[in-house]
Amino acid sequence: MAEYSLLAGGKRVRPLLCIAACELVGGDEATAMSTACAVEMIHTSSLVHDDLPCMDNADLRRGKPTNHKVFGEDMAVLAGDALFALAFEHMTALSSALVVSPKRKVRAVIELAKAIGTKGLVGGQVIDLCSEGLNRDDAGLERLEFIHLHKTAALLVAAAVVGAILGGGTEDEIKKLRKYARCIRLLFQVVDDILYVTKSTDKLGKSAGNDVVAGKLTYPRLISLERSRELAEKLSKEAEEQLLGFDPNKAVPLVALASYIAGRHNRS
Amino acid sequence: MLFSASATPLVPSLCLLAAEKPVNRRPMMMRLSGGGAIGSSSSSSNFDLKTYWGTLMTEINQKLDEAIPVKYPAGIYESMRYSVLAQGAKRAPPVMCVAACELFGGDRLAAFPTACALEMVHAASLIHDDLPCMDDDPVRRGKPSNHTVYGSDIAILAGDALFPLAFQHIVSHTPPDLVPRATILRVIAEIARTVGSTGMAAGQFVDLEGGPFPPSFVQEKKFGAMAECSAVCGGLLGGATDHELETLRRYGRAVGMLYQVVDDEKKTDGAIQMAQELKDKAKKELQVFDDDDDKYSEELVVPLHTFVDYAAHRHFLLPL
Repeated sequence: MAEYSLLAGGKRVRPLLCIAACELVGGDEATAMSTACAVEMIHTSSLVHDDLPCMDNADLRRGKPTNHKVFGEDMAVLAGDALFALAFEHMTALSSALVVSPKRKVRAVIELAKAIGTKGLVGGQVIDLCSEGLNRDDAGLERLEFIHLHKTAALLVAAAVVGAILGGGTEDEIKKLRKYARCIRLLFQVVDDILYVTKSTDKLGKSAGNDVVAGKLTYPRLISLERSRELAEKLSKEAEEQLLGFDPNKAVPLVALASYIAGRHNRS
Repeated sequence: MLFSASATPLVPSLCLLAAEKPVNRRPMMMRLSGGGAIGSSSSSSNFDLKTYWGTLMTEINQKLDEAIPVKYPAGIYESMRYSVLAQGAKRAPPVMCVAACELFGGDRLAAFPTACALEMVHAASLIHDDLPCMDDDPVRRGKPSNHTVYGSDIAILAGDALFPLAFQHIVSHTPPDLVPRATILRVIAEIARTVGSTGMAAGQFVDLEGGPFPPSFVQEKKFGAMAECSAVCGGLLGGATDHELETLRRYGRAVGMLYQVVDDEKKTDGAIQMAQELKDKAKKELQVFDDDDDKYSEELVVPLHTFVDYAAHRHFLLPL
């Protein structure tokens, strides 16, 4: 069941980010690989649990039936637990210890652990669950950002940060990568929300800005479509700024990633 | 010398690994032999087991309380605390971990964070086990199970949060001057392996699915795994050699399985025989520590013996 979810599509953004960050600061792919895979296992594990009936109750994931639909809720709970455990087992395995200093590995463990617990993924999911059906006055930008920073951004940010840690980045470099990752994840969400609103608008033939997407907390719904687009611009610029000062050749994948995410709404 | 069943147990309602069943029942395994031999020397008869266990429990409870303060959003922290700090938890995994660490001359300060982490992981697995889609247990340790109080969604998340918190706790609280970072990684790997598809999750899977696996597989995977993990982690933190770790591993696995066999209360000849074999096996593993007085403190092997005795008889044996 774990294999079903782990190998079912997915763009592998987090592991790629991990490896790219590692290489950016002078490390190599081999150093980051086992941790990069661990990050993807954790990501998958969180999706399997998120999709459960008592949580987000999703029937489809990555174009396929969700894990619990195929294997049952009990197996899905266990598969998520097992994948999570395997992730940490994989990244702390003796074989990978030969390539990376224990001090850096331990720091990577704690960074990932923080990102997926109550201060990260779980915290965000809890608030998300409590926010269903809230109206605009109750919801607020702050809550939306809390959800995104914790539920969706935390692990992606951690992926970049642990890549930098494992590659031997300085504190300043790690800080920049943290900020870069945070920016692109929020950027992705803002763009996604813009697309959601504009697509719905096209589909329903109503003008943009109408509250046609009631029930889903989105940036356009909270701060208007125009301000959402401005926010996307701002985040895109901030992401790029973090990459200045690094070797441009090594920064190419990360620059390209930011551009791609930012450019999505222009192609809609 | 056996305690009689009516004597006051050392710690009321002490139950090694999964304390969901009432413990004031007549222990079934009175007929197991070899119950009296902890050690006949004067130092083990002077060992104050009650204080040892009681002190450890108090300390671990306090550290667990400090490890999970209520923050925002409060509901998830309360759910985590509800299970981890449950009254009636006997703290067997943490105590076994500390005991194993000290056996090799390790400082218990080195072991406490891992001991707490083991309890967090243990609590997390129980929360998930009790879920409606799993064992569907409305009661745990005499109280409503986590999901009946907080809902299945929060209960799943509480379990999901406790696992990483356990690892985080080990890293952030284990003194680096006492434990090398490489050892910490081994401890984390050990716990991760225990929880994952080769350990507890596998046992629960088989428990739910049934299938061609013998009962011993389930027992080994669920209960044996946790006890084994606790003993091995303790050994790692105490500086045990690989050979010593393997001894601890076999010992821990036998104790965990023994506990479960007795807990299941099947009075078949097969079950009784298995229990006796497991008890003998566990004791046999401890012999290497019993026999070498120069290397291993006699006193410090005593707690490991008492785990076996408790698992078999549900009370402690103390030499008079």
